[in-house]
Order: sequence, then C-alpha cells, then structure tokens
Amino acid sequence: MTIKTALHIAYYELRHIWKNPILFLIVFLAPTVYGIFFGAVYCHAVLAEIPLGIVDLDHSGISRELTAAFSNDPYFKIVPDVSSYQELEEAMHTGKVRAGIVIPEQFEKKVQHNRQTEVLNVYDASNLIWGLNTRKNAMEVINKFNNQYTVEYLSGAGLNTQESLRIVNAVEANVVSWYNPTNSYPTYIVIGLMMMLLQQLGLMSSGLTVTREKENNTWLHFVSSGVAWPKIVLGKCLPYFLANFLNYTLVACVAFEIGGAKMEGNIGLFLTMGIVYDLVITFMGFVISLLAEQSLQVTRYLTLLSLPIFIMSGYTWPSTHIPGFINALASIFPSTWMMKAERIITVKGLGINYLGTNILVLLSMAGASLLIAFLYPHIERRLPV
Amino acid sequence: MKIPFLSIMRREFFYMWKDRGLRFILLLGPILGLLLFYGIYSTQVVKNIPTAIIDLDHSSDSREVVNDLANIDYLKIAAYPDTYQELEKMVQSGQVAVGVVIPENYGRDLGSKKGARILAIIDGSNTIYATNANNAILGVSRTINARAGIKTLIAGGLTTAEATDAYQRINFEQEAWFNPTLNYAYFMVLAFALNVWQHCCMLASTMNFTGETKFPSWLQLKASGYPLNRLFLSKSITHVAVFITILIPIYVLAFGVFKFPLACNIAVLFLFSLVFILSIHSLGTFISTLALNAVDATRFGMIIAVPSFVISGYVWPIEAMPGVLQLLAWVLPQTWFFQGFNYLVFKNPGFNYMLPYFAVLAGVAVLFYLLTAMVISIKERC
Repeated sequence: MTIKTALHIAYYELRHIWKNPILFLIVFLAPTVYGIFFGAVYCHAVLAEIPLGIVDLDHSGISRELTAAFSNDPYFKIVPDVSSYQELEEAMHTGKVRAGIVIPEQFEKKVQHNRQTEVLNVYDASNLIWGLNTRKNAMEVINKFNNQYTVEYLSGAGLNTQESLRIVNAVEANVVSWYNPTNSYPTYIVIGLMMMLLQQLGLMSSGLTVTREKENNTWLHFVSSGVAWPKIVLGKCLPYFLANFLNYTLVACVAFEIGGAKMEGNIGLFLTMGIVYDLVITFMGFVISLLAEQSLQVTRYLTLLSLPIFIMSGYTWPSTHIPGFINALASIFPSTWMMKAERIITVKGLGINYLGTNILVLLSMAGASLLIAFLYPHIERRLPV
Repeated sequence: MKIPFLSIMRREFFYMWKDRGLRFILLLGPILGLLLFYGIYSTQVVKNIPTAIIDLDHSSDSREVVNDLANIDYLKIAAYPDTYQELEKMVQSGQVAVGVVIPENYGRDLGSKKGARILAIIDGSNTIYATNANNAILGVSRTINARAGIKTLIAGGLTTAEATDAYQRINFEQEAWFNPTLNYAYFMVLAFALNVWQHCCMLASTMNFTGETKFPSWLQLKASGYPLNRLFLSKSITHVAVFITILIPIYVLAFGVFKFPLACNIAVLFLFSLVFILSIHSLGTFISTLALNAVDATRFGMIIAVPSFVISGYVWPIEAMPGVLQLLAWVLPQTWFFQGFNYLVFKNPGFNYMLPYFAVLAGVAVLFYLLTAMVISIKERC
C-alpha cells in the first residue's frame, strides 16, 4: 500500500513530464544531445597541424633541413606565403599562422664556422591551448634538431658517430605521462563536462517538480490530500531518479564512444558512483523545488551557475592554485566531488579505496537533502511568514 | 492614444528593477562572475607544481639534478619519497603531479658508455598540470644533458669554449606573443565573465515579449492602438542601454584595476560589445515572441546560450573541431563575438580584419529584429 501510493504519484509525475514537451526535452533529451555536442567538440583529441610560418632568410641547406624538420612533424603544417618578418607578424595578428620560425641570414655560414647563431621561434599565446601545445611541440622538434647538429659537430671534431651519440644523450630523460600519455583533451575534459551537465539538468528537472505545482495551484491539493509526506517526496523524486540514471548511462556512452573519453576503471564502480550522484541530484533538486518561489527563478539561477561551478571545481584549473575560500565554496556542490571521482575511476583506473572521501561526501549530501525534504513540513511551520 | 517613447522606456526600466531576480542577476551576476573567476585564476600561471623526487644515487651529480629541479619556478618539490612504490601512490592519490626518479649509479653511468637515465613521471589526468610540467621537464632535461655532455667533452680533451660551442651553436629562442607570460587570468577571466554577462542579457531579452504579455496592461496597450513595434522598440532600447551600462564596471575592473592587457582602443571594444549585445538581444526577443511563457522563453534562450561558449572556440580552437560543428559554431553570434574579442584584446589586427565580425553581428541583429517585427505584426493582426 505504501509503495503503491508513491508509485501513483510517480506515475502522475511521469505523465506530466510526458505531456510537457519542453520538460520532456530537458529531462530525457537535453543531456544526451548536449553530451553529443560537447563530445564532438573535443573529438579530435589533440591539436595537430598547427599552422606555422617559416621565414627563411638564409635559403641554405641547413635552413631547409630545419624547415623539413618542422614540416615532417605531424603537429605542424607549414603555411606558405610567409617569407618576411613583417608577413609573419601580420599572419600572427590575423591568426593565419599560430607559430613562426625565423631563420636568420648567414645561418649556415655561422654554423659551419662554429659561430653561435640564433633561431627565433614565436608562438601565439593569446589562446593558451594553442600557445602551450605549440611551445611543447616546437621544443621537441628543436631538441631533436639540435642533437643532430651536435652529433655532426662532434663527428667533425674527430669522434665517431656512436661516441657522439653517447655524449649527446649523456642523460636520457625518459618523460612518461601517466593516465593520458597523449594529453588527449577528451580524456581530460569530456567526462567532467558531462557530470556538470547531468548535475545542472538534473537539478533543473527535479527542481521544477514542486514549483510547477505551486504555479498551477495544485500543490495545496497534494499536501492536504492526507498522503504521508515521505510518500509524496519519494513519488515525486522517483521518475527523476530513473531519468537521471538513464541519462548518466547514455551520457557515459556518448563520452566514451563519441567523445573519445577514456574508461580505464571498473564499470560496476562507475555505475555505483552514478547511483550515488543521482541520489544527490534528485533529492537536492527536490529541496530546491520546495524552497523556490517560481520555476523561472530555478531555471535562471541554475543555468547561470553552470560555468562558475565547473571552473571553481578544480577539474580544469587545479585546486592547488585556487584560493582556499573558493575551494571551500566549490566543495558544497556535488559535481566538484563527482568530477574528481570520475577522473579517478575513468582516467586513472583506480579502485574504491581512492574514492572514500568522495563517496562519503556525496552520500552525506544525499542524506542531508533527503532529511531536509522529509522534515520540510516541520521546518516550514517554524519559518516566519 | 499617444504614449511618449520615453514613458515606455521609463516603464520598462521600472519593470526590470521591480523584478527582484532579474535585478539581482543583471546587477550582480557579471560582476560576481568576474570577481570569482579572478579569484580562481589569481595565481595566473601554473607554477609550483607539486613534485616528488627519489634520489636513489645520493651522489654529487644526482644532487645537482635535484638542485636543478628545485630551481625551476614551475616545479615545487613537495616530497622526497624513499621508494618508487611511495612515489606511485603519491601520484595516484594526486598528492604530487610530477615524480622524478634518479636511479642508483646515476653519477657512475654519467661518464660511462651506457649513459645515465632519469625517469620523469607526469600525472597526465589534468592537462594544465601536464602541459606545464612537460615543458618544464623538457627544459631542465636539456640543460642537464648539455651539462653532462660538456663535462664529458672537456674530460675528452676539448676546451670549455669548444665543448660549450658544440651544444650552443644553434640557440633557439622561444617567444610567446600577445600573452608573453602565458597568463591564464588574461586569457580566461574576462572571457568567462563576459560569458556570464551574455547569459544574463539573454535571460533578460527572452522576457521582452513574454514578460509584457503576462501583465494585465497588455490588453489595454493593445486596445489603445499604440503600434506594438514601436512599443517593443522603446523596450529594446531600454534593455540594450541597461546591458551595456552593466558592462562599464566590468571593463573598468578588468582593464583599470586588474590591469588585463588590451591591444585595441577601449572605445572599439565597447562598440564591438554593443553590436554583439544587439545581436543577443534581437535573438532573445525573437525567442520571446515564439515562446508560450516566460519559463519556456528562458529555457529556449539557455539552450542556445549555455553551450555557445564551448562551441565558440574561445578555449578549444574552432579549427580542431569537426567540420559540421565548425559550421554550426559560425552560425552563433557568440562565436563571432568571442573570436573577435580575442583578436581585439590581444592582437588588434586592424579595422579591415575586424569588419566582418562587426558586420555579421550587426546582420544577425537586423535579421532577428526583422523576424521579431514580422511575428509581432502577425500576432497583432490575429
């Protein structure tokens, strides 16, 4: 009997979602559609073919070798028609190229006469994704080229090639990037974006369940119907809980299949975390709905808060570099804990022993929200009118 | 009945002020956003990346490497674990983002035929950490390698000058243009705040028509015979004036107080922002005429505004997106604005280059205002 009443309310709620096309869109379609969009944005994973202008003022054999070193690198694409410094400057200003190499006059002559010469590598840092990737990739090409010339110099000084190579590689630094060796952006960002998306859309869905009733003047019928309050809470939350979990699995499929995000961890753990996150979102949304005056208010604030919540979470810009009070503020949002937990599972492939705090905090948030929801009639009576 | 233009504007301003939620969002949203983002990016560059070093050699050479690593701004030595397992755990739990292992016999191998090795582990799960750490490690490994090579050459009979020359014959100078210190705050903070601003403006714009029709005075206004297009024109002027006014403190804070770089003239940036906000307002108003109520209008507006920043290519370059998405991105006014904003703030490529950006945004505004006028005329006739 107890379950039956709650299920009746859940059925009524589900019909309401079904009948309202916009609500249906938000509850069932928006997470997957947004997920596909965001996944597609990062699907190329790494920045390749960075447009590079080479100003060769020497036109010598060595300068052509340097040009070839860059043109053979998959990360760079040589843009023709950049033959002077002024042209390079203009091309950098208009975004035609994102990096440039300036090979000075008498480059070869100086190299052959063992005199120092300087090659300039400029890169566009107005967008730091371009900037940092270009700097790293250019540095790798430059290191290789430099080593090759040091070997040639040493060979010229009488050392055999093997000896020269040994000296050039006196210290071999083996740099290993764990978890994301190619610095793939989908691995880095997509799953976090998806969790943010699920939180905001999930809160918006269940956050409108009571406000809508208030606006339609039907809320009074509910509370005065004699149905036990916990049944109303559970009945109202159930459809959103199921929809949120469905969205979680769909969005994960999109992230892994379309977005190219990595899934290294245990799928059971991933789904369990989904249930915990779903509980928090559903109950928190319901509490928001109880407290909010109108649907418009909920919609406005939740959409506006998406970007600040994502940025302050420490998922992209590291928490170690964010002031303490902002980290404290970020910690009140479930997405902060969930995004970090998802990184531990999907990217690092680690187990539950690394997720203790995250699970505990999320469960506490779900418990606290449910408690507030259950006690709301008592709280409301005590509130000043 | 004649209703003066200014009275409608005054009335609209009054309604905007009376809507507590909207007032809060418009007045405080963008400013709070700017301050919050400035706070988040207050360190501006990713230096002091937590690093752990295991020195299993304890030789003077290995200590030299430790010193080299400790002297890089980008790394901060946070721990000296004793074993590889400890280091592994530290990286896994996120305590450190970089781990360097100097193996036993490093000093001995340095001059030997075998050559010496150093292992550097970087936690790649956060690309911001990883890219900066990678650059730092690449730089320091080059220095360590060159120093070791020079030492070997000197030991082999070359003079110091000859040995140094072998390594420094071609000196590559890397220069970051437009944002020389690779400052994340310059790149991110204002753009994020402007994204919040455009969201707020979109929210308010979507109330332009639906907000009016919910008032009982709507019937009176319609019955009075006052041209609806004129009514919405005066309302729109008020909106745009408010939107652009709330931008003043944002630009004052960003360029005046936080000293963010600005390559172009502030008046040009302001004009560009005005053209953009006209396009956003026209789009919001058009949505408003199609929606059944204010909540739906807000939702429609947000469906466009929320993903627009990600798709605009301001952060992840548009050139790296799939072709279809690139086309879609260029349909959105936000893409033209954020791309143009980046050029104006960092590069100032000149009037001719920026003209298409101004023209497209102005075109979007004209198109959607015309469509709005059409829909209103149809509704008026009905």
